[in-house]
Amino acid sequence: MASIQLNSVSRIYGQGASAVHAVKGIDLQIEDGEFMIFLGPSGCGKSTTLRMIAGLEPVSQGDLLIDGQRVNDVDPAERDLAIVFQNYALYPHMSVRQNMAFGLKLRGTPGPEIESRIAGVAETLGIRPLLDRKPSQLSGGQRQRVALGRALVREPRAFLLDEPLSNLDAKLRSVMRTELIKLHRKLGTTMIHVTHDQVEAMTMGTRICIMRGGEIVQVGKPQDVYRDPADTFVAGFLATPPMNLIPARIEAAGEGLAVIAPGLSVPVPEAYRAAYAPYTGREVILGIRPEDLFETPEGAAPAAIDCSIETVEALGPETILNVKLGQGGSELAARLPAEGDWEVARQIRLFADSLRMHLFDPETTRKIAR
Amino acid sequence: MAHVTTMERENRRFGWLLTAPGLVLLAAVVLFPIVWAGITSFFNYSLIFPGYDDFAGLGNYAKAADDGEFLHSAWITLLFVVAVVGIQFVAGFVVALMLNDARRGKTVYYLILLCPLLINPVVVGLMWRMILHPTLGIVNWLLGTVGIEPVNWLGAPDMAFWTVVLVDIWHQVSFMVVLLLAGLSALPAEPYEAARVDGATPFQRFWHITLPMMKPVIVVTLLIRMIFAIKTYDIIYIMTRGGPGVATDLISYFIYRRAFVSLDLGEACAMAAMLLIVIAGLTAVLWRSMRQVQD
Ligand SMILES: Nc1ncnc2c1ncn2[C@@H]1O[C@H](COP(=O)(O)OP(=O)(O)O)[C@@H](O)[C@H]1O
Ligand SMILES: [Mg+2]
Repeated sequence: MASIQLNSVSRIYGQGASAVHAVKGIDLQIEDGEFMIFLGPSGCGKSTTLRMIAGLEPVSQGDLLIDGQRVNDVDPAERDLAIVFQNYALYPHMSVRQNMAFGLKLRGTPGPEIESRIAGVAETLGIRPLLDRKPSQLSGGQRQRVALGRALVREPRAFLLDEPLSNLDAKLRSVMRTELIKLHRKLGTTMIHVTHDQVEAMTMGTRICIMRGGEIVQVGKPQDVYRDPADTFVAGFLATPPMNLIPARIEAAGEGLAVIAPGLSVPVPEAYRAAYAPYTGREVILGIRPEDLFETPEGAAPAAIDCSIETVEALGPETILNVKLGQGGSELAARLPAEGDWEVARQIRLFADSLRMHLFDPETTRKIAR
Repeated sequence: MAHVTTMERENRRFGWLLTAPGLVLLAAVVLFPIVWAGITSFFNYSLIFPGYDDFAGLGNYAKAADDGEFLHSAWITLLFVVAVVGIQFVAGFVVALMLNDARRGKTVYYLILLCPLLINPVVVGLMWRMILHPTLGIVNWLLGTVGIEPVNWLGAPDMAFWTVVLVDIWHQVSFMVVLLLAGLSALPAEPYEAARVDGATPFQRFWHITLPMMKPVIVVTLLIRMIFAIKTYDIIYIMTRGGPGVATDLISYFIYRRAFVSLDLGEACAMAAMLLIVIAGLTAVLWRSMRQVQD
């Protein structure tokens, strides 16, 4: 059980002109028992951050605290954390049982206790029949379980998982996703899970930490981050299809304001008017989630959008329409119920709920507060 | 291979055609001497009266097995191989581990280490005979400057054996370094990181990760060095001629003397055949280990 705190932690590889700032002074507080997700595109510094927490990578600047204690210079062996690597990193010459026992033996755990812990974890993960095999005799999914088992038997203060599901096929991945969630609920141990998969991020974590270019963009509960993305990067990263982002302008329209883009005019609801008024006459980026587009007027202030259908993706429970706005406007994705009679090139009218629109400043890419 | 097409058969014929000159040459210079020596080992064949009139059957083998001098040589050779390979392995492994961890100047160290290996063994012998000369050698002079009595490196029986061992180590240790370093740098990095998080100290990582993962490479390296150490001849010929007495009378040199000094070719061939069997046995083990490394 551990809380983990990062105070302007940086990691710089190399020196001088060729130095790479992999992590740029990030601040983060991970509470005891939390399931924290590090989400971001490849190369954004997720693994580096995780490895610094594990002690495999030195902290170049800043302070790393575990349970309030500064551990910058503490050996990984003494941090009592367990890590599951993306490529599993099993000991190739040891059997599954020996792989799991190794860390316990090094810590002087008595033999019978090791045996019972391995038996328990092997039962939970369903790897009992594999205990006497070598890693080379296991499939990818089995290796992944063994790597997880090796971490679990240790009963560490926290689990660090570096894209543990990314090498599994889609079906196994969703099974393991559920199992990890259950495991966390059962153990209540702090977990940090690194992923570049937004579905994993949305479904697994109690909080998401979204990273880009070595910096933290936004931290929050999955639903909060989804509902209220801090900038266009987060808006465009979470969910598939992501939020539609349309270059637009705010203009005065009669009494109030409207967001105008080619083929599109969304009136600004009363409630947002004061916040958006300073942007009158200026460029903005309009964000609308695909599920906030409807076939019939919905919400307090619906805005009609005329467009033509470009592609139809019938997914079963729902259908994704890619539509093009009139007058050479942008393309949008709309998430609509499955039943519907859609044909490519047909003109249709969709409705946006203007209360659920987001506006971003094109210069800073940050959300315009309201 | 039940079905062989005409094209494959022609390809094979062409292959044989290309390798034929080489095979003939090999047969002439390698196979023929071996067969000839094998045959000779069953005759009382002396260079004084060369001829195959006196068939001895296994007599030469029986005589060799009963020959105290031959057994002494075999014993000395065994000691030599164990000492040389053992010390070279430990020293070579330590150096390879250090080089593997070295951040800078790896190539420079590597090149310096490689130098002795590139010198012809005869030159190595001559060089060290000069360096270790009892009165004119630089080593005894250096010892003298710090007040140590001159050492009779090659003149005293016990000393001579260890001197030869040391010179061979100096000459060949880099071979171990090269092979072991290649093995070390091919090891995956991930298990080490896993072991660090699992709480392993550097020594525990060496013992539980490096050694087991290096095992196939270690076996192959040891076997190759053993095969070559058993055959050691040049250094002995140049430095000690097997002496003083028979203190450094390694088996290759002993057989050479039996054949070309005592002129008893039949017996020498029998001894050589016995040595060949030992080396062939080791080579067979080596082959099998190398296949394991590939798996
Ligand atoms: N050993 C290293 N030397 C130099 N740069 C590195 C090293 N390891 C990682 N980096 C750089 O640090 C950045 C972050 O890497 P990483 O944390 O592995 O990203 P992620 O796990 O988010 O994909 C990348 O730009 C990568 O190129
Ligand atoms: Mg990574």
